[in-house]
Amino acid sequence: MLGEKLDPRKVFGKAVTDLAAINQSIVVFSADSGKSSGFGEFSREYSDRYFECGIMEQGIIGMASGMATVGKIPVFCAIAPFVTARPYEMFRNDLGYMHQNVKVVGRNCGITYSDLGATHQSLDDFGLIRLIPNVVILAPQDPTEIKMAVKAMIDYAGPVYMRIGNPKIPVLFEEIPFEIGKGRLIQDGDDLTIISTGSMTATVIEASKILEKNGYSVRVIGLPTVYPLDEELIRSSAEKTKRVMTIEEHYCDGGMGTMVCELLSDTKNVTVNRLGIPKEYGTTGEYADLLAYYHLDLEGVVQSAIRFILEG
Amino acid sequence: MKKIKSIEVLAAKIRRWIIEEVYSAKSGHPGGSLSCADFLACVYEKYLNFDSNHPEMIDRDRVVLSKGHCAPALYAVLALKDYFPLNDLKTFRKIDSYLQGHPCMKSIPGVDMSTGSLGQGISAAVGMALASRAEKYDNWIYVILGDGELQEGQVWEAVMCAAHYGLNRLVAFVDLNGLQIDGNTATVMNVGDVAKKFKAFDWNVLSLDGNNVSELDMALDTIHRAKTDKPTVIVGNTIKGKGVSFMQGQYQWHGSTPNQEQYETAVSELDAKINELEKCHE
Repeated sequence: MLGEKLDPRKVFGKAVTDLAAINQSIVVFSADSGKSSGFGEFSREYSDRYFECGIMEQGIIGMASGMATVGKIPVFCAIAPFVTARPYEMFRNDLGYMHQNVKVVGRNCGITYSDLGATHQSLDDFGLIRLIPNVVILAPQDPTEIKMAVKAMIDYAGPVYMRIGNPKIPVLFEEIPFEIGKGRLIQDGDDLTIISTGSMTATVIEASKILEKNGYSVRVIGLPTVYPLDEELIRSSAEKTKRVMTIEEHYCDGGMGTMVCELLSDTKNVTVNRLGIPKEYGTTGEYADLLAYYHLDLEGVVQSAIRFILEG
Repeated sequence: MKKIKSIEVLAAKIRRWIIEEVYSAKSGHPGGSLSCADFLACVYEKYLNFDSNHPEMIDRDRVVLSKGHCAPALYAVLALKDYFPLNDLKTFRKIDSYLQGHPCMKSIPGVDMSTGSLGQGISAAVGMALASRAEKYDNWIYVILGDGELQEGQVWEAVMCAAHYGLNRLVAFVDLNGLQIDGNTATVMNVGDVAKKFKAFDWNVLSLDGNNVSELDMALDTIHRAKTDKPTVIVGNTIKGKGVSFMQGQYQWHGSTPNQEQYETAVSELDAKINELEKCHE
């Protein structure tokens, strides 16, 4: 139901479990993290396809790669930095290099593990994984997209990294087929294009309503796929509004905003403003407080957009 | 007995081609390639279920060369077993060659896992064994580790996992040649009593002369007959550079290549060995 708030991990785990009923190749790896990743039901229903390995994330990436050579589709979900930054070389060599059919999911992404501090926050995962050739990066924006993205990533033959958060998020969209690499034009407008990804899109949709009320016409694009970017949609939007603001729960450097800048670097008369986290070790606190601290809350997004439109 | 001779011939031919590869490339790792040649020969000549015409056969036995820098040995045995033409071995490490410095499963027929960064191959082998058992395949997974490689922590994660899941069709071979790039393994970072360590992780352990084909054959025969719920490691005491007189036991030959004179000496020694073995074989 639109507007209903759901736990992204539970939605993710259920989507994988439902697909496992019809796809016998799906197996799940846990690094002492399966139940927190939404795999409680999977571990009970499909115990012969559920591999608990304890706390060895780097080893699991390799084991998943080995399993994929025998035709399995391993899904491995744990806290985002532990499946990206920690086993980075294994991700590159065992998954990317061999284009293995393994799905890695980083949960509690961005600053959603707000009170656990910098070790548990993932502010660099887009940047790290996008440098590994041919790995798809997904950041679904609401529970509906999480469900559809899971199906798309299982259907896709190759390595995928998907990031999901931790706090409940609202249902924003009706169910439509998920196409990897396709962005979503959520609202049309002329003054500014806002491009967001992941759970930030809910805030951007709210912000766009406030901006409209204040007389600003905003084009809103949501990206459930961070790599490959929807180049056509981004280019055409940039050419239309000339101003592009990117928003992500990631460092301003190296993530989706950087990728948009690279894409638009040969587009004349377009200015890009990147919103995100400054390149520093994240502080701790309540999630809402951290969003406000980094100006990624509703007020921060609205003010940044108005400032950008007025001051360029 | 006849089979032992044919394994010995294959091992000598692998060694001959290792020298050819690293000499052609003017780079490569002859020392560790030569020390693991006997194990590869034994597995490929007698135990491995493979079909070089159908390298993708899903329930095949698999070999993971976790010490991927010893690619010359793996490439040699694959070519000698008709996965690709022998003459291609002379393109080793050359631009546009599919025979890259480290094994790549995407471009080389018969390579079951891409390796190169030490410690990673055994995790993949554990994954293969887990998936094969889940599929009820009757296959064996072999993984070859260097003793220096045991310094990588990831190895022990995989070793723990293999024992936890009772992967009784996983066979590891530790090429215990005692040398690594900077010198003796014992002084660089002592891996200690390897057999004891694997035993402590609840593996079956067989210690033997890893350059003795008869001992290797007996060990593999025992493993194949055994009823066990544990993975097995063969701790093979080997000699780095085995088979080439001036390379044997010299850590400098970990990653050095022979000049023309050294190449000719090595080739002449190995050709003599092959001739001698083939005469006995007749």
